[in-house]
Amino acid sequence: MRSKYLYRTLADYFGLSLVLLVMVMFFAMRTEHFFTAITFRTIANQIPGAVIIATGMTFVLIIAGIDLSVGSVLALGGAVFGMALTSWQFPLIPAILVCIATGLACGAFSGILVAGWKLPAFIVTLGMLEAARGGAQLVTGMKTQYLGARVDPIASWNILGLSLPFVIALAVVILGQCMLSFTVLGRSMFAIGGNEETARLSGIPVGRIKVIVFALCGGLASLAAVIHCTRLTAADPNAGIGYELQAIAAVVIGGTSLMGGRGSVVKTFIGVAIIAVLENGLVQLGAQDPIKRLVTGAVIVFAVLLDYYRRKV
Amino acid sequence: MYKRILSGTLLAVMMMIIAGCGGPADRADGTGDPDRPRIALIMKSLANEFFLTMEEGAREHQAAHADQYVLIAEGIQDELDVNRQIQLVEQMIARQVDAIVLAPADSMALVNVCQRAMDAGIVVVNIDNKLDDDVLEERGIRIPFVGPDNRDGAYQAASYLAGYLEPGDPVAIIGGVPSAFNAIQRRLGFEDAMNEAGMEIVATQSADWEMSRANRVVSALITEHPNLKAILCANDSMALGAVSALRSAGKLDDVHVIGFDNISAAQELLRNGDLLASVDQHADRLAVFGIEYALEMLESDIPPDDQETPVDLITAETLD
Repeated sequence: MRSKYLYRTLADYFGLSLVLLVMVMFFAMRTEHFFTAITFRTIANQIPGAVIIATGMTFVLIIAGIDLSVGSVLALGGAVFGMALTSWQFPLIPAILVCIATGLACGAFSGILVAGWKLPAFIVTLGMLEAARGGAQLVTGMKTQYLGARVDPIASWNILGLSLPFVIALAVVILGQCMLSFTVLGRSMFAIGGNEETARLSGIPVGRIKVIVFALCGGLASLAAVIHCTRLTAADPNAGIGYELQAIAAVVIGGTSLMGGRGSVVKTFIGVAIIAVLENGLVQLGAQDPIKRLVTGAVIVFAVLLDYYRRKV
Repeated sequence: MYKRILSGTLLAVMMMIIAGCGGPADRADGTGDPDRPRIALIMKSLANEFFLTMEEGAREHQAAHADQYVLIAEGIQDELDVNRQIQLVEQMIARQVDAIVLAPADSMALVNVCQRAMDAGIVVVNIDNKLDDDVLEERGIRIPFVGPDNRDGAYQAASYLAGYLEPGDPVAIIGGVPSAFNAIQRRLGFEDAMNEAGMEIVATQSADWEMSRANRVVSALITEHPNLKAILCANDSMALGAVSALRSAGKLDDVHVIGFDNISAAQELLRNGDLLASVDQHADRLAVFGIEYALEMLESDIPPDDQETPVDLITAETLD
């Protein structure tokens, strides 16, 4: 019984990993330097933020919600983080905590509106997308804040050659998947996404779980903000524009249903990796902007199509 | 119960924000003041530090010359919202301002509405992003462009960079939005200087003016071209992204980076040498130059003529 479950899970991951592998092989053959440790270290440095945002988005999509505000919440979190470090003279750890608290609050606020008034998540988070962006611009006075050496402790940390942000992202993926697979909260989320009314009738506290999920998504977006600002050593009030769509693309490539009830954080991780490999590979090929967009779009649709047929078999 | 508390709080916050907006510092409309000419300044995104600086410069100038003119400053939310900007120009025509100083979001799409403004007897001055010469000629109108030569600015910075390189060194260019006039001009300026000095341009990529996109593009580029000696960025945000990508790859000492715009966040990098050079096109003065020229045109019937504004090379030495 247990081995059958394991077998099915592995088979599930196999299809996507194959897409990733084919892409890596393609770029390895067509460019001189793609298949090197440096490329993979570069990608590992780039994706932590996207992985963390996409993990939160996976949770929200599983309960059949959507969060369009992650990019703006990232900017707001980053803005608070940046101002805390520069203008308000906070030490690093309190600055991180204030940043994450900001994201949690934004997410919880959206969640309360969605759960309490049964408003469509699309509209509520669209409002948050505007409001949080305004907040980010207000906090920074619309000026990019240069952080420099203040974030070095995060940037210079590494375990076995893996950067601290990458380790954090891995931890988020593992914890997220465990939460989905093995906890009551995870099972309740799938139940709500599958059929909200049934979930309510079987005694699941639907409203409370929705608030938790949106708060988690906001909190993860602001955790990504810390990583984003660390990588760029700057806090930019215009950061993260369009990240919501990138995150949704990665999550959907990973086979999570937009209709809710089905999804996996590990596969989301592979989805993010696919997009990152594609972007790096295309730059190394020297592809121009229009071509890059065309190919990225085609790959998103192709990956989802492949997932559809693999599930049918 | 919590619903009521929350919605009450939300309402209160909204009221406070709205009340805060309508303070006495509201924009001077100038209606009913026939003595002073009214000049409308229409910019691109005010969420962009560059245009914000431009607006602040214009407001300071107006405050110092309050007896000479009234300023109405407007901007659009999104840099690419051409439609909204056309509406703003139409509003200004309806309000019968005396002059419009415009930083067009698109160098072709705004020509038509500018022509309508001129037909209504309004003086139009073009700043920042030059309106397309071919379209202007086709319409048979002349709108003066008052602004910096971006190509020359980029050329200056790239020539300064060339002094730090050996002929034949591989370099890469990170450009802005590929269709934007100033992005094209800056790229051409970089190319002029690099070709003249005999460098090899191994890659030209766009990062849409954006820091984090530049960071990703540069990370990939230095893997593919490990011998890269310099990265020429069409603005400072992208230069910040390039510097952070080089830092995480441990290549900051091997690769020179130049930027454009001299934004405040770039100055620390210029001082510690991570950024070799930038270009100041005096954002705070750009709108002012346009306004001064519009005033000149209102007072005398000078024929509209393009005016070049200064661009200066910024390096660690030139910063105070």
